[in-house]
Amino acid sequence: SPVVSSPSKPLYLCSPFVEAALVKGSLKTIVLLPKYVDIMEWVAVNIFDFYTNLNEFYGCVAECCTQSTCPTMSAGPTLNFTWINQDRKSVNLAAPTYVDYVMTWVQNLLDDENVFPTKSGQDFAPSFPSTVKHVYRQLLRVFAHLYHAHYPQILHLRSEPHFNSLFAHFLAFGREYELLEMKDLKGSSSAPVGIGELWSRWRDMGILEG
Amino acid sequence: SQPANKPADYVYFDRTTAGFSDQALPRAKGAQLKLEHYYKVVVDAAVERNARRVELERRFQSDVLMPEERKQRQLQQLGRKESTYLRLRRTKLGLDDFRTVKVIGKGAFGEVRLVQKTDTGKIYAMKTLKKDEMLKKDQLAHVRAERDVLAESNSAWVVQLFYSFQDPSYLYLIMEFLPGGDLMTMLIKYDTFSEDVTRFYMAECVLAIEAVHKLGFIHRDIKPDNILIDKDGHIKLSDFGLSTGFHKQHDSNYYQRLLESTTKGPQTPSSAQATRNSVMVNSINLTMSNKDQIATWKANRRKLAYSTVGTPDYIAPEIFQQRGYSNECDWWSLGTIMFESLVGYPPFCSESTHETYQKIMNWPQFLVFPDDVHLSEEAEDMVRRLITNAESRLNIEQIKQQTFFYGVDWDSIRSVDAPFVPRLRSITDTSYFPTDEIEQAPEDAPQDSSEASKDLAFLGYTFKRFTISGH
Ligand SMILES: Nc1ncnc2c1ncn2[C@@H]1O[C@H](COP(=O)(O)OP(=O)(O)OP(=O)(O)O)[C@@H](O)[C@H]1O
Repeated sequence: SPVVSSPSKPLYLCSPFVEAALVKGSLKTIVLLPKYVDIMEWVAVNIFDFYTNLNEFYGCVAECCTQSTCPTMSAGPTLNFTWINQDRKSVNLAAPTYVDYVMTWVQNLLDDENVFPTKSGQDFAPSFPSTVKHVYRQLLRVFAHLYHAHYPQILHLRSEPHFNSLFAHFLAFGREYELLEMKDLKGSSSAPVGIGELWSRWRDMGILEG
Repeated sequence: SQPANKPADYVYFDRTTAGFSDQALPRAKGAQLKLEHYYKVVVDAAVERNARRVELERRFQSDVLMPEERKQRQLQQLGRKESTYLRLRRTKLGLDDFRTVKVIGKGAFGEVRLVQKTDTGKIYAMKTLKKDEMLKKDQLAHVRAERDVLAESNSAWVVQLFYSFQDPSYLYLIMEFLPGGDLMTMLIKYDTFSEDVTRFYMAECVLAIEAVHKLGFIHRDIKPDNILIDKDGHIKLSDFGLSTGFHKQHDSNYYQRLLESTTKGPQTPSSAQATRNSVMVNSINLTMSNKDQIATWKANRRKLAYSTVGTPDYIAPEIFQQRGYSNECDWWSLGTIMFESLVGYPPFCSESTHETYQKIMNWPQFLVFPDDVHLSEEAEDMVRRLITNAESRLNIEQIKQQTFFYGVDWDSIRSVDAPFVPRLRSITDTSYFPTDEIEQAPEDAPQDSSEASKDLAFLGYTFKRFTISGH
């Protein structure tokens, strides 16, 4: 029986997992703004769905993401995200705490009629685009931590085609609506984000467009 | 032992679920199913949205008289409707968005209430179904069928569904409220109808059943209690609890099996490879032209069914025989309702359901027209051509040609005056419902139960209709 090789690079960059996908075909079909439709509504409902779906998958590995396994919000060998607290100080949080803060914060925004209006006649605030950009950035960090720290568990649970497609969709969407900042995706040369490399691979493979 | 033609970075990974909690696997499977469902819905919605726009654009293209500026305005208006519909998807509808006015009906799995949507003041009928009961009695397929028929139809002959939602204990269907009660109540009140009145209701039922068949469904449970009367006295069909549409998901064990396939420990792999790297995924293709898919799906829906359920009085004999049946069974039911309307009781009614069943199976012996009721030759002939073997039963075209229906204008019957028009004092008038006989109990508080299987079994139940008006 074949020996399990211990790869020098992360499993999510290795074949066959890097190619695994639930959704095949051009993501453009589900990303592009439908003609005549309000861009705010389109972005709002998609962010709502990304949050809901990501939450489901985080829930699957949450039992493996604890204060002791993940004392920091890691997203690369030399990268830990820090949380900006109420005093505008940057603090280190254990990953489960960090993710909990992100998810609670986003949920509260989604439930806030002033930010994500659901009643008819209620408009989006002028600050909506910048709020959504913040939300996107934090959700990206949750994806980054899951890929960096929990990909083997995603494989054990046979969820990689699903998780990959969700993330590819998330990236394609972020590019289309200028929610995705390259520096957030790639990190710095001294502290690169793991998934920055995944983005490049998927672009080379044609899963994502340049 | 790296096989050839694998990329240099090909790795083997031994999958194991050791070290995970008992909930981890069902939860992961649940997340996967939800995501698969999500992408299917997203693709379907894109296809439908596209179709609506293309249709409007095409109409404008061929209309040379309409000013360009007006066309633009209407297209923008479509965009606003689509945007409103997207917003509705983020809106969590729940029980507290509706106020109960009165309980108006009871069924096997719950009740029907007259409700008012609190923000708009609009009136609806709300049907509640208890999830536990549905799962216990294996009625899952049926509830999905009901939601699907109602959701897919825009027919004037089928009760409209506006929303469906769920909480941990109940499913809710928010439908249009038909204030005229049902045909059963009317038959109790009048005992029998004249042939003219019978002709009207039968003709409307013919068109209603035809509409259901055209949607690809067989109702299977057409009976006077499922024939509802609208504010103008015209009929609509409800209660698709038993109708079958043959979606694969309607198999009530489907989700249970999916869950078990992951929870029942190690699968027996056909090869070592199977346990390791390969994952069975039916990928979803992001193509807009899935006409073929729709065609296959529709074809599947027309397959025969083999199960037996329900109260027997109006049910065709072939349904009890496990040999399969097709949509002719609904025409038998129509025959028994016609008999009842003219004679005052259904042809095979008995003391016990068992006896009724016996009579239906031996219908040539038990189909008897009483001497003391005078029926025209055409009426008796038509009943006899409906209550007969499936092979010799009339089909839709033949039914419409029957001499009994002489003079019926099939295209305009819904707009002629109905024989009985309900007299209503308000939009919440419930005088056509036996509300005194129904216990006006308050809704049970939903208790919390979030079993993965129960939750998943009702995946895809939640629905919001794309409507022009602000429902
Ligand atoms: N949309 C509606 N408008 C007005 N009344 C309705 C509506 N839907 C149902 N009812 C009333 O409630 C009664 C029960 O409804 P229905 O038959 O759909 O319930 P059910 O739970 O499916 O019952 P069963 O399956 O036992 O036939 C009907 O006979 C009718 O009187």
